Amino acid sequence: MNLKTIGIIIRREYLNKVKKKSFLITTFLVPILVAGLTIGGMAVMMTTKEKTKTIAVVDRSGIVLPYLEDTETIKYVDCSGQEADSIKLRLSNLGYDGLLSIPALDTVAKTVNPDLFSTKPLGMDLTSNINNRLDKAVEDYRIASYDIEGLDEIMKAVKSDVKLHSYTVDESGKEKISEAGVYSIISMVLGIIIFMFVTMFGSMVMSAVIEEKQSRVVEVLVSSVKSTELMFGKIIGIALVALTQFLLWILLSGVIIGVAGGIMKDKLIEQADPAELAQSLGVSPDQLDTVDFTQLAGTDNDMAMALDMFHSIPIGKIIIIFLVFFLFGYLLYASLFAAIGSAVENAEDTQQLQIPLTVPLMLGYIIALYAFKAPDSSIAFWASMFPFTSPIVMIARLPFGVPGWEIAVSLGLLILTFVVCAWASAKIYKVGILMFGKKSSWKDLWKWLKQN
Amino acid sequence: MGLIECKEVCKSFGEKVALDHVSIDIPEGRIFGLLGPNGAGKTTLIRIINRITIPNSGEVLFKGVPITQRDVEKIGYMPEERGLYRKMKVGEQAMYLAQLKGMSARDARTGLKEWFVRFGIQDWWDKKVEELSKGMAQKLQFITTVVHKPSLLILDEPFSGFDPVNADIIRKEILRLRDEGATIVLSTHNMESVEELCDEIALINKSRLVITGGVEHIRREYGNNNVELVYTDADGRHTEVLPREVDGNSTLEAYIAKGVTINSYKELMPRMNDIFIKLVTGEDAK
Repeated sequence: MNLKTIGIIIRREYLNKVKKKSFLITTFLVPILVAGLTIGGMAVMMTTKEKTKTIAVVDRSGIVLPYLEDTETIKYVDCSGQEADSIKLRLSNLGYDGLLSIPALDTVAKTVNPDLFSTKPLGMDLTSNINNRLDKAVEDYRIASYDIEGLDEIMKAVKSDVKLHSYTVDESGKEKISEAGVYSIISMVLGIIIFMFVTMFGSMVMSAVIEEKQSRVVEVLVSSVKSTELMFGKIIGIALVALTQFLLWILLSGVIIGVAGGIMKDKLIEQADPAELAQSLGVSPDQLDTVDFTQLAGTDNDMAMALDMFHSIPIGKIIIIFLVFFLFGYLLYASLFAAIGSAVENAEDTQQLQIPLTVPLMLGYIIALYAFKAPDSSIAFWASMFPFTSPIVMIARLPFGVPGWEIAVSLGLLILTFVVCAWASAKIYKVGILMFGKKSSWKDLWKWLKQN
Repeated sequence: MGLIECKEVCKSFGEKVALDHVSIDIPEGRIFGLLGPNGAGKTTLIRIINRITIPNSGEVLFKGVPITQRDVEKIGYMPEERGLYRKMKVGEQAMYLAQLKGMSARDARTGLKEWFVRFGIQDWWDKKVEELSKGMAQKLQFITTVVHKPSLLILDEPFSGFDPVNADIIRKEILRLRDEGATIVLSTHNMESVEELCDEIALINKSRLVITGGVEHIRREYGNNNVELVYTDADGRHTEVLPREVDGNSTLEAYIAKGVTINSYKELMPRMNDIFIKLVTGEDAK
């Protein structure tokens, strides 16, 4: 192999892809979208308060009304004296958002059959709130009907209120707060990213190979360079494109979230009543400007726990292992995609040939989504060893902690498989790129492999 | 000793034999015609010389020593199935191909500019290849084949896709490059251009070498060579075709004795086209 030539090929491939409009669009749009959705969601949650809804109540059972306490967002109006049907028809005229109509008590089943009417849908929070209260009313009614003395107290005492605190303990006995939820999210995100990148850039290699064959420039190229140099130049060039995109995404997302976060902070100060804010921070109102709002996170207990959990995850280690698995997973699939690309003359013909590659990729993705629920299950274990699924599944298992030997074995198998597949792909590629006019099948690819 | 010597080259793809013990000698500084019907094995032989394909047996010598990957930089190849990256700019594309042939960026730029000026296409540099017409793209392709000053130029059907005016430009460039010392292998079905350009040829049919040698020699050797006599008598002008075997002097004397005026007496060279058909099919074209 001639390193200088490979360098020239890598350079062209890289610049050609990076200067493309589609690359610029995905690189800049995706982080904006992701950040936009995150920040937008947060902003909506923080700023919108549900408008208070007024609900008219016609209670014929007589057991529910005492349980309907007004909340910040729901106001109940007792209309038991009136006819439910007449209110129902004039809801908006009367200024009610909804009507809760409770017919007479069903003494046999010891329950009520309430109906809720509204002109517009009322939203999950409100209906579940009403439902909870109805449940409570019926429960209490049933308990009372047993007529056992002191049952109220017994029931209260029985009611359990356990909160599970989970910790991971390392060998030194140091305890860390662990929360499966955080790990699950990281695991899922990493799994999806690696699946997306391998698929996206693997097929980019394939289309680049097809492009050269389709435009017939390939024979000119292989008269100057060896076909293996051409193939690996292409694969490495596109790997650099992938890394560039990944890096830009991280940087851009960081910048956007940082900037938007700053704007939101200012907005918050504007909106908040200075005196109230100052009081909650324990400073005088004129000192507000000097307050470091990052400290705010620390004052919030949940936030602090979440941050603590993030610190307990070995991020540096995960990033390094992620990159290594991504690199070899990509190399493995990209070399196979290159072999397939060499066998066809246009992108439409790849469908059938691709199946043996897309199936294990999809399988890895599905198992990875399962792995975040059961990271140590045997299917997750074996899939994280099998080289065609291991890049995705191993990364998904990683945040939960994987023994070093498992990572080593999995990586060893992956690299070995890559070497074998790259060797075979190079042979197929060499013959394939100069085959024109005939639709090739896997049988042909096998023949080419044995041919030289 | 030729610039390129192929010795007993064999190549088969699975069951199919593409080249069967083919030996040819391509002399330096000449235009060498590689002829043969479709599927005869010409492209395979060219690819073997280019080191795109490795022969099963036999060897290719470049200046007397087995050819290596480094020698490929001294070859310029324009395949029959040719093309360029459609989405790339003309200049970038030409620079890329020149650099793959081992030119430095600076040499490539100077060399390309020279050729662009020669062909009057300087203002194409920043155009995209897909904006070029087929003929324009062919010109660019020719430039990318020759810009690195190859000592061996392999052109497969170089005139296809060119209009007569541009084909003539290319024909003149080929002759100029030959005069500057380049060796040129011309693979074509256009027998007129073989007669006009080639010094030597090799004819391959069904994977085997049928004949190789100087064009003049082969034209004399093969085909039914006749002589043509044109004379004028009282009835006017006559043309007669006589077998070459007859003794020219006595024939002429006999005609002169009849009192006619001899206008011309010349050997009729068979056309390469006829020789080609005769050798490939085993039948006379006429």
